Amino acid sequence: MTTLAPTPIIQIENLHKHFGETAAVNGVSLNVNPGEVVLIIGPSGSGKSTLLRCINRLEDFQSGSVIVDDIPLTTAENINAIRTEVGMVFQSFNLFPHLTVLENVTIAQKVVRKRSPEEANEIGRALLAKVGIPEKENGYPGQLSGGQQQRVAIARALAMNPKIMLFDEPTSALDPEMIQEVLDVMLQLAKEGMTMVVVSHEMGFARAAADRAVLMDDGLIVEEAVPDVLFSHPTQDRTKEFLSKIL
Amino acid sequence: MRIRKELNKIPGFEVANHRIDSWWWLVAAVVGIVALLAALEPDPYWRIIRFVSDGLLVTIGVTVIAFILTLVLGLLTALGRLSKNGVVRWITTIYVEIARGVPLLVQLLFWYFAFPSIIQGFGELIHFEPFEHYLANPFAMAILGLTFCYAAYMSEIYRAGIQSVPKGQNEAARSLGMTRNQAMRYVILPQAFRTILPPVGNEFISLLKDSSLVSVVSVADITRRGREFMAASFLPVETWLMIALIYLIMTLISARVVAWIERKTQTEER
Repeated sequence: MTTLAPTPIIQIENLHKHFGETAAVNGVSLNVNPGEVVLIIGPSGSGKSTLLRCINRLEDFQSGSVIVDDIPLTTAENINAIRTEVGMVFQSFNLFPHLTVLENVTIAQKVVRKRSPEEANEIGRALLAKVGIPEKENGYPGQLSGGQQQRVAIARALAMNPKIMLFDEPTSALDPEMIQEVLDVMLQLAKEGMTMVVVSHEMGFARAAADRAVLMDDGLIVEEAVPDVLFSHPTQDRTKEFLSKIL
Repeated sequence: MRIRKELNKIPGFEVANHRIDSWWWLVAAVVGIVALLAALEPDPYWRIIRFVSDGLLVTIGVTVIAFILTLVLGLLTALGRLSKNGVVRWITTIYVEIARGVPLLVQLLFWYFAFPSIIQGFGELIHFEPFEHYLANPFAMAILGLTFCYAAYMSEIYRAGIQSVPKGQNEAARSLGMTRNQAMRYVILPQAFRTILPPVGNEFISLLKDSSLVSVVSVADITRRGREFMAASFLPVETWLMIALIYLIMTLISARVVAWIERKTQTEER
């Protein structure tokens, strides 16, 4: 009986990242397969955001290796090549305030992907419709609610046709009533087969969409399992302790 | 900017806000005084105006050209000081320190009197004919001197503006695959420009006033023309009153234009 193991689209090998004396990521190895949705949880300062930011090299790291879609993160050209394949959504949205909503979604298409304005606008409008904000394309980010801004940020990342989407606490800065509209967009993405790595404590999303949940603490992976198993039957004391605080 | 948006929601505030610009009345008042003097006492006031009018064009020319060059050189210097390249950072920092540490008047004297001699000496050394007979063009040297000094200050304004853009903006741009330069051009600088507009406007007004210093290096600007008129007419009070009023009109108009541009860019977004 031979099962052909899929080649992981993200391969992280023994990654070390420290800020001065403090170790943020202290030897993490993690593989993510195409189409997989991985949720990373853990207390603040556990290195989960840093790990995520190492995947598209927003953070430099000291040792270990990160290979995304068979491209190793080494040279500047490689890093830019990876960034066009990896979309990122930030906790604080980071929309461009001087550009309209549509321009936010089209600027990188035009500048990086070299698409014509017509093509970029067409793709941009389709994506804004997909995330449920078709009528605001000429507004500025400052005129939108937090939930709307985060959905525009997702559309902006999707416009580059990424193979992987990284979410860094996408709902942490949102008012409670706006969280669901963002999670709905993420759920739909997961259903469509997008490879996703999500730093979040949204248990509902984890149970509904995540294939795997990973608990990090002190820059290390403590435990990983299918979300239901990890949340209901954690094996490590550290996991039990953390879950008791957030559930 | 957000505060202004909130304030504008208060009924009547926008009217009050609008009234700020009735400062145009001050411009009108000063223009009126000049017109009145010229009409009631054509001799000497109208005579002074006619005499210095060509100098007025020189003052405006020197100021505008030096300002445009300052905007360009200032931006390049700011980018140099924020560069990852240590040598570039070192050179631009030295430049800024020198240009800010030497009085503008001394710099102007250097560029006009000393610089050409250096070029001539260098030409003799390497036997390069055009350099040996190099003569300073007062107008060009004055613009060079003003630009050299003002670009250093301008670079600090740019630098502060660039650094005031939140780090997340650069990260978002880079995460979309933009290069460092693309992120700077399409994301960081457009936001920085809005922030620095008021100080840049102030620099223009300072430059306009400091351009009077070029009168000591053979540039026939309005100040120099004023000195010439006074020397011929022995009317110091009338001459310098008129020159002062003409400068005041120019700076007051500039301040209004800066305020107008500032308001326009702020209402465009948000």
